Parts: sequence; C-alpha cells; structure tokens
Amino acid sequence: MLSDNNNSKSKGRVLVAMSGGVDSSVAAALLVDQGYEVIGATMQVWDYNQCDITEGNGTCCSSIDVDDARSVADKINIPFYVLNCEAKFKASVIDPFINAYLNGQTPLPCVNCNTYLKFDHLIKKMKELDCDFLATGHYAQVVFDENANACIQTSTDDWKDQTYFLFTIDPQIVSKLIFPIGHLKKPEVRKIAEEKGLVVAKKKDSTGICFVGSKGYDQFIKEQVSQSVLNLKKGKIRKFPQGEVMAEHEGIHLYTIGQSKGLGMTHHEKLFVIKIDAIDNTVWVGEETQLYSSEVEVIEPHWLSEITDGSEYEVKIRYQHKASAAKLTKTERGIKLTFSEPQRAVAPGQAAVLYKNQKLIGGGWITLN
Amino acid sequence: MQNYSNSITSHRVYLDYNATTPCRPQLKSRWPELIEISGNPSSIHHDSRIPKTILREARQKISNLLDCSPLEIIFNSGASEGNSSVLRSAFDHFKANRNEFLISQVEHPSVQKTAAYLISQGAVIHAIPVNRSGQIDLNFIQEKLSDKTALVSVMFANNETGSIFPIEKISAMAHSAGALMHSDCVQLLGKSQIDFQSLNLDYATFSAHKLYSVKGTGFCFIRKSSPWISLVHGGNQERGRRGGTENVTGIAALNIVLDEFQNCTNQIVGMQVLRDQMEKAIFEKISDVSITAKESLRLNNTSSLVIDNIDGETLLMSLDLKGFSVSTGAACSSGNPEPSPVLLAMGLSKSEAQSSLRVSLGWDTSEADVINFVNTLALIVAKLREINFEEKKKTNVV
Repeated sequence: MLSDNNNSKSKGRVLVAMSGGVDSSVAAALLVDQGYEVIGATMQVWDYNQCDITEGNGTCCSSIDVDDARSVADKINIPFYVLNCEAKFKASVIDPFINAYLNGQTPLPCVNCNTYLKFDHLIKKMKELDCDFLATGHYAQVVFDENANACIQTSTDDWKDQTYFLFTIDPQIVSKLIFPIGHLKKPEVRKIAEEKGLVVAKKKDSTGICFVGSKGYDQFIKEQVSQSVLNLKKGKIRKFPQGEVMAEHEGIHLYTIGQSKGLGMTHHEKLFVIKIDAIDNTVWVGEETQLYSSEVEVIEPHWLSEITDGSEYEVKIRYQHKASAAKLTKTERGIKLTFSEPQRAVAPGQAAVLYKNQKLIGGGWITLN
Repeated sequence: MQNYSNSITSHRVYLDYNATTPCRPQLKSRWPELIEISGNPSSIHHDSRIPKTILREARQKISNLLDCSPLEIIFNSGASEGNSSVLRSAFDHFKANRNEFLISQVEHPSVQKTAAYLISQGAVIHAIPVNRSGQIDLNFIQEKLSDKTALVSVMFANNETGSIFPIEKISAMAHSAGALMHSDCVQLLGKSQIDFQSLNLDYATFSAHKLYSVKGTGFCFIRKSSPWISLVHGGNQERGRRGGTENVTGIAALNIVLDEFQNCTNQIVGMQVLRDQMEKAIFEKISDVSITAKESLRLNNTSSLVIDNIDGETLLMSLDLKGFSVSTGAACSSGNPEPSPVLLAMGLSKSEAQSSLRVSLGWDTSEADVINFVNTLALIVAKLREINFEEKKKTNVV
C-alpha cells in the first residue's frame, strides 16, 4: 500500500509506463532510487491470443513483455497494473497505420501511440491515480529554459534519441514528464539493469513496429485487410517522368519512397520508388537523383514552442535521419520547409520534426499535395 | 526465491472473497503437519495409511455436509475441472439420443467454453437468458427442454452479482424432461444455509479455495448412477472416476477447515449484516450508484455496484493503492480487465459494465473494514468524477 500523497519523505508519486523492455525497466528502478513513490503500468495494446506463441520476443506488445514488466515491478517492489488499451490502440494506431499504407503513405505509428495513448490516456491515469508525474523510458530529456518553462531536449545518446516521436506532446504537460534514462547512453542503461539484477538486462532491443513483429508489415496488412480490398490497390509501376510502364504491382501498400529492392523489374540502372499515387495506384520509379527534394510541405503541425516565420531550424524528416538545416515558411495548412541541402526520400506520412539547439520545437506531417 | 508472505506488507483489507478466500488460521498453524504427509494413498504399505485416512475422513465430512453418500464424492483439482468433466460426461453418454444442453448465459468460463467445445462435437447449446434483475428465464427453459436435452447446467449463485437461481425448480423441470441437472456450486458452502439435497442435483462442483482452504483442490458430487467419464486417464483413483494421485495435502487442508462448515450460521448472518450496512452507507455517501440484481435473491456477501461516470478499472487500481482488494468482475487470469461478459449478458450496457465494481465479503470481514472501505470509495469516486468533469470541460463535451 502506498502512503498518502502528503508524505514528506517522498519526492512525489510517479506513474511509469513499463513496456517490459530494458529502458522503461531501468527508468522505473532509477525513480525508486531517487525517492519517488512509483507505480508501474503496462498498456496491453494487442490481443495475445492472436499471436503465434513462438513469436513476440523483443516486441513491446507480447505477453512475455507484460510478464517481464511485472517481474521488474516485483523486483523493485512497486505496484503494477496492466491497462487494457486494445480498443484505443486499434482505433488510433493500427487502423490509421493500415489506412496510410493503403493510401500510399509511409506511416509513423509510434507517434500516434504517443499522442493518443502514452501522453493522453496515461496522463489521465496519472491524474486519476493521484500521481504527480508520468515517466517513460524514452531517450529524451526535460529541461527548464531561462523562463522556467519545461522543454523537451534531445537525449545524450544521439543514436537512440527518441524526441522525433514526441512532437505531438501537449506543451502543458511537459513539466509533468520525467524521462529517467534520457541523460544516459544505451550501454549505461544495460549496465544499470545488470547491476540491479533486472531480468530484462540482456533482452534484445525492440526493433521496428511492435505490433507487426518479425513477419514484416506487408504480411501484417495481408492478415488484417481482406484480399478484395487489397486487390483494389493493384496497379502499374511507371518510370518518371515519361510514364512508360515498367511492371504490374500487387498493391501500393507494398512500396515505400526510396525503395529500390523488390521492384520486380529489370532496368539497366538502379531505380527507386520516388512517388506513390493513390488515386490511380501508380508507383512511380526513377533515378536516384529524382529522390531528392529541397522543399517539403508539412501539415497539421504541433508546436511545443513559438516558431518564427523565415527562421532556420534543424529538421529531421525520419527517425534515423541526421537533422538538416531548413528555413521555415508559414502556410495556410501548416508550414513549408526549404532545406539548404536537398533531402533524399522524403516520404509522405512521415513527420518533419524541428529542433533549435537540441530543443524540440514541434513538427507536423509530410504531405505531397 | 522471493518471500511469498503477504504478512510482511502493510495492512490490507480483502473484499474479494468470491474470487478466492484466505486460508483459515487453524490451517496455518497445522501446516507443518500437512507437509509431513508423504505416502501415496494408493500404496499398500504403512505409509499409505495416513493419506488413505485423510481421503476417507474428508470424503465423509463432505458427504455429511451435502447429505449424500461418500461414494458420490470425487476429489479433483477444482470446479473448472469438475464443470468440464460434467458437461463432457453428459455429452459422451447421451450424444446418440440427447445432444442438447441448456446452460445459463452467466456461467463461469469453464462451463461456457466446454459448451463451445461440445458444439464443435455436435452438441446444441441453448443459452438461458438472465435479466438485469438477476432472474433466470424459466419460460425459456420450459420451451427448450425436450427429449433431446441431455443436461441443464445453472450455477447456484452468480459469482459477480450474487444472484441466487431457483435450482430446485429448474432441477424439477429438467428431470421431468428426462434430462440431468448440474449446478456449479462454488459460491454455496459458507455463504448459504440451503439444504443441498433440496436442490435435487445430479452433479455439483466445488473448489476448496473458495472454502478458506488451498488452491488446486476441489470435489464433485455425482449422484449414484449418473454417467461419468474420467477427464484424466490414469490409475484407478477415485474408483476410476479421476486418474492421478490425489492432492492429499490439499484434501487434508480441506478436511481441517470443513469442520467449521458444519455450523457457520453466525458467519453467514454476520456477512449479511455487514453487507447491508455497507450498501446503506454507499447509498448515503455516493450519488448515482446502483446495485445490480439487488431486487432478486442474492448471496449475502456480494454487492455488484454500478457507479456512474467511473471507470471500474481505474477505481480498482485506486482502491488497491489505498490497500483495498476488490474486483471489476470475475478474476481474470491475464490481469487485464475487460467489461464483464456476465454483466453484458444480463443486459447492462458496455459503459455500465465498465463502471462496475464487485465487493464480496467473507467470514473475516470486520465492521471497521467495511466503514473504511466505504469512506475511501466515496473519496476516490468524488476525485475521479472531478477529473472526468474537467476532462470533458476541456474537450467541450459539457
């Protein structure tokens, strides 16, 4: 039983989102060390009964992961709950993910999960469970600027930094967030897990999209969408700009911008997917130079800080992208970004996320039209 | 290995007796003795004597309690095994002439899922409706009963709402159609003073862990000459009706606690007084709350609350953090609460089912426990409603 909130010894009560992975496990353990009263919660987002029992290791939605999170919670002696988020996850993450692919886009489900589950549903749970803070195992940091405003800053681990996925966070809640491992590098996190004897210390990192698993997203979509719907997505692969037909394809959802493998055709030079047209299901291919663009249209933006029209920002256009300088111009629907250097494989459905001196400013969704 | 003792954590109030019951104190003090039991009851040598005595004594005690022959009792792992065995036995025995089953819509999954399996084997299942007042549809039973009916299975009382069903009547109806009658009786002993034989059952299933004893032990009443096919193939234990060495330690524990069930009127009446006091206090302190099936005959330890505009899952966690153990429905093995299928079947809306909380009292519940619980519940409900109101205001729904 936790004490009441007025316990002067405690630094406050924290709800920590525990996926069963090493990062959030260490996050929870560090909070206990720091003197917080910690409550662990795992969001169950997927019906395990649908999963092959041999699958699921190292993805954040298998029952093994819930067991791991529970075992860590036992080890560090904190209350732990499983929250049923299946319906919400399906409506706000899975369905948009599938629809994006069927519309020729490259979706970013982790952002939706953060927007609608981690930093919305869990924020509500935080309040309801009388907690002062919400913590996650993201590689990100909360810092306070000169005006004492809470801001999100990139992790000290450049490679693992996950602020790209956090641009939709409501600025009002940033002061309520704790990222306990944001100042650490991954090997340090693993070392702490090992020192503390957490069962997850050697667990492999989750890669890719948690609910897709190792079978690949095309197989996942095949399982979730009826063949008659997928048949409507068949079309032609044409070469840009003349439009000569290079091959037939089995559905636009099988292609992403920048893809060059598995196009099912022979050509004297290497060709890349440069554009996907959902109206007539055309997959446009072209030479690598045609993959580059300097101007990127961004819609439905979210801002954590004020932006200045005409100002230059560091911008990431996908997760593992080295931020590049771009000038921001406000538009009716959002912003236009003009990069100093042309960017390769700008994919609609991905996010453009803006930074200034490591500080997360906000971002929006890349669109073609 | 971790210390499994609950006693090292701070004081908690346990109000989830329908899920499972804590062991009686005398069981704790006699535990070293139970650990000493080592022989196999099926052996011939001296070491089998004590295990044999334990089985004989416990069987005799149960038969006294149920006013039946010891031969009509078999030991097993619990009511889930019992329920699966009963349904499958009736199906296997009667399938050539009678392949229809009537089971209530609010049965435990061990009945429902066995029935679903039997459908795949050619059985026809009629699900007997139960309304939101907790009344079972007797007309439906009468309509569906025929010379095709093999078995009627209706629980003595529902574990979530406490509704007690008119088993005596249903048995009579089943028997007049030539069908057999089964009742899942896990919520009967220690909660009701009914004369078991008046129910006129052919099969009844029980779990020891609902009777203040240990988990993994149960027993089944099988009226003489009722068909039975062992679910577990093995040795000739339980007169060939259940293979596998008996759980002698668990049965010995049950044997110890059963003495108190011979006369537990005081405990049963005591629970009723506290339950009624609790419900009265809840109505006084919390607005917009209702009690499911309050108008029907109920177990005297159970309250199934619907608290408007409250998420039962969150309420359960908040109460847990304050040291109170309750449930949102049936205990679920995954620990992942879904709206209760039982409440949905009774006609509660999804949101009502999600706003539900089950409180079940036991022999150890004190007046102070109940008062503290209601006070804490009222505070949490007020807080959660305030948060919900603020959220709605923010999204302009209000």
